[in-house]
Amino acid sequence: MMAILFTLFAPIIGGFMYGIERVVKARMQSRIGPPLLQPFYDFVKLMEKRPMMVHSFHAFMGIVFFISTWFAMAVLMLGNDLLIAVFFHIISILALTIGAFSVRSSYSIMGAMRELIHLVSYEPVIILVVVAFYLVTGSFDYRMILSADTIPLLKLPLVFIALVGTIPMLLHKSPFDIAEAHQEIIGGPDIEYSGPFYEAVYTGRWIEYVYVFFLVFLFGGSNYFVGGLLVVFTFLLIMAIDNSTARLDYRKMLKFAWFILIPLAIVNIFFLALGGNS
Amino acid sequence: METLIVLSIVLPILAGFMMLFAKNDAVTYILSCLMLPLLSGMGFMIYTADLPIYINTPDIVNTFIIMFDFGLLAYFLWLGYQRKSLLVGLLAVVQFILLIIVVYMAPVSGTANIYVDKLTAMMYLLVGIVGVPIAIFAAKYMDYAEEDKHKFVGIVVGFLGVMNFAVSVNNIEWFFAVFETTTLASVILIGFRGDKEAVDNSTLALWMNQIGGVAILLSLILMIKDMGVYHFTDLLALDKENITMAAIGFLSIAALVKGAQLPFHKWLLGAMVAPTPVSAILHSATMVKIAPFLLLRLSPIIEGTLLSKMLILTTGFVFVVAAIFALTQDNLKKILAYSTISLLGLMMVAAAVGTPTAVAVSIVLIVFHGFAKGFLFVEAGVLEKLYNAKYIKDMNMLLTKAPLTMLFIFFAFLNMTFIPFGTFIGKWLMIEEASGFLSSGSFVLLILLVTTGGVFLSVLYIKVLGVAIKHHRFSTFDFTPMPKTFLFVGVWYYMWLLVITIFIAPFIANFIGEIAAPIAGKAPIYADGLSLVIGKSTLYFWQIAGALVLLLLIHAAPLFVKFKKVDKMHPYNCGEIYTRQAESYDFDFITKYEKRINSFAITLFLLVLILGGQLL
Repeated sequence: MMAILFTLFAPIIGGFMYGIERVVKARMQSRIGPPLLQPFYDFVKLMEKRPMMVHSFHAFMGIVFFISTWFAMAVLMLGNDLLIAVFFHIISILALTIGAFSVRSSYSIMGAMRELIHLVSYEPVIILVVVAFYLVTGSFDYRMILSADTIPLLKLPLVFIALVGTIPMLLHKSPFDIAEAHQEIIGGPDIEYSGPFYEAVYTGRWIEYVYVFFLVFLFGGSNYFVGGLLVVFTFLLIMAIDNSTARLDYRKMLKFAWFILIPLAIVNIFFLALGGNS
Repeated sequence: METLIVLSIVLPILAGFMMLFAKNDAVTYILSCLMLPLLSGMGFMIYTADLPIYINTPDIVNTFIIMFDFGLLAYFLWLGYQRKSLLVGLLAVVQFILLIIVVYMAPVSGTANIYVDKLTAMMYLLVGIVGVPIAIFAAKYMDYAEEDKHKFVGIVVGFLGVMNFAVSVNNIEWFFAVFETTTLASVILIGFRGDKEAVDNSTLALWMNQIGGVAILLSLILMIKDMGVYHFTDLLALDKENITMAAIGFLSIAALVKGAQLPFHKWLLGAMVAPTPVSAILHSATMVKIAPFLLLRLSPIIEGTLLSKMLILTTGFVFVVAAIFALTQDNLKKILAYSTISLLGLMMVAAAVGTPTAVAVSIVLIVFHGFAKGFLFVEAGVLEKLYNAKYIKDMNMLLTKAPLTMLFIFFAFLNMTFIPFGTFIGKWLMIEEASGFLSSGSFVLLILLVTTGGVFLSVLYIKVLGVAIKHHRFSTFDFTPMPKTFLFVGVWYYMWLLVITIFIAPFIANFIGEIAAPIAGKAPIYADGLSLVIGKSTLYFWQIAGALVLLLLIHAAPLFVKFKKVDKMHPYNCGEIYTRQAESYDFDFITKYEKRINSFAITLFLLVLILGGQLL
């Protein structure tokens, strides 16, 4: 029941998280920032705008991106295998990138290609995280992970660091907001969407927030307090990093993911598995 | 039942010869169309029969096959002389000598020479359902500015019979004969156009595959000397301690060569100079599928040994590297070839792991890869002939100019990587299975390799689709209606893939599970209605259906989604006029490392033999 409600309200929760993010970010920059409900005001305003599009296929892909992200969320919450949920996420990436490829704008196409580089960077780490959970709790089911006696974080500190390292890539935060890169390619895959169609992509991104921070929450195991604490800590950390770093280029992102984050996760899994205390 | 088995081997070969001599359009068409119900029907009947079946053959057949072997090697020697290739000639001579030793050493054995189990019957079905439509396609394809249509279709159909033979032999000496016959068929097909490039590439295919032949012969000698057996079933019946791993190591090397694993991948890439149906037939149902098939036969012996771990590392490495190489290519057929090499790596990884689930994974991949690759190459042939498009960078606006072809290609690409299609199930099960063995280092690497290889393949397919979908202002293509034959073949594959995917849970749990069970035992896979349950994890039907609906929407959207009341506008371009077009990336920098990667692959190859075969 909780899972169904959580899935249904995922866009709203994500919207709130985005609202909080904007406030927190503003406070970090000594601004007051927009009201907490600003994302929802934006939502209403965008829905009222005159719908415009480049062509129907492109506009439709925006909607499919939203639906498939939401569906991936449902798979995460209602299914019993985290791996499947991780693979479902690729469908939404497919919709987004195919849509972005289909317009004649250079910015959009470049954004789509960079989005694929993002995928190459974070996907192996996410799967290693899921495998590490399996190693600790013996299950791919998040319910089992949430009822495990141990706190997974204590056994998987390096895996946790690897996950935190990939969150900026997943959510397009600086220093890895390469696919969006507002000053450079003006939003990348998002650029050609407007009005209600942009709203769909925008809301899809909110759901990604919930999706990602749910993975962080799992590191608390049955101790929900630790899980919650981790989410808050990670959230603030990501915001601080986002505020204080400049954008890197895609090569650096790829190198960071492949030569630092993946080895970290692998080392952790190696020692845990060979130590035999799983 | 024995008659049916013999028929499914002999009938295509006979039909091929008839086409060759009749040189008549009607004969070629009717015979190739007739093969479709015949071969798949017989395959199904054999599959449902009481298996396994052993067939004892008269001695005369054995003598005939040995004579044929020598004849074949003599022909290779002559080819080497004619093409001035020292390597081909040398390898033929070496094989000649080794074969004499084998024939001299081989003890008399009462074991049946033909052995048909569920795995073999499944390969019959695959050849019937996936292979024959390619022959039908070829009959039409060759009408477009190609010569020797009847000869070509005849060889393709005959090749199907050879493939059927290859998967049903029990005698490894015979296996060598069919191994070399498939080599011969591929050499003829690759060199079919007869120009210099075609001949060079067919020579390359010849000597590379001959190395596989040498490996089989060496393995036979070791086998006969140490264990006194030369049949697959006898080998499997032996105690594990009594088996000389070196013999198995050599057989694995033969599999790796046939499966075009790095550094022996060049011959499969070279196959692209031939008419496209050749690639379709080599990649989908025949030829390269011998490689995972051979490893599946051996997997009960390999499982848990050092050889298994070395094979996992080698083929897993190929899975990733071939996928990365594919990203550097621009030619559609080359991209498809690299992705075949890559997925063959995954199939062999699974076969080498050898646990019940892994064996099932390998079979799932063989089936789905066969369907999807046959489909893709057929559509690549359509693009080549109707639109003259070979390079993906030229494929602008194909979405509007060739809507149906693009729809088919899109669907086949989705099949190669996305949830809920078979290839995804393979990757997913492989990761789940490897997670259970994390205390072994090679399995941690296996997870990493499977994951990254899978991601690179996804990126590859999305990139190719994206480039093909790109809207340029100008397009050099004109809409051409699809001939009925092409349409039939496309729809045939499409429907099969769609139906199997909807019923994927019972398909994998019952059909594949039944095939895998005799090889490695019952896998913990079963179907709960239309949901697939594996151990503790479930792929629910609502997930399968949801993913399928989403993907079908994505791939068919260009055809039917039209928002009527929405205003259109031009894309934002910063106030500039469109002088530039963004092209796709080509990962060119990887070619810098190609030499190093190749030498690493050679090292792995030698390690398979030295460590895995326990030659030290």
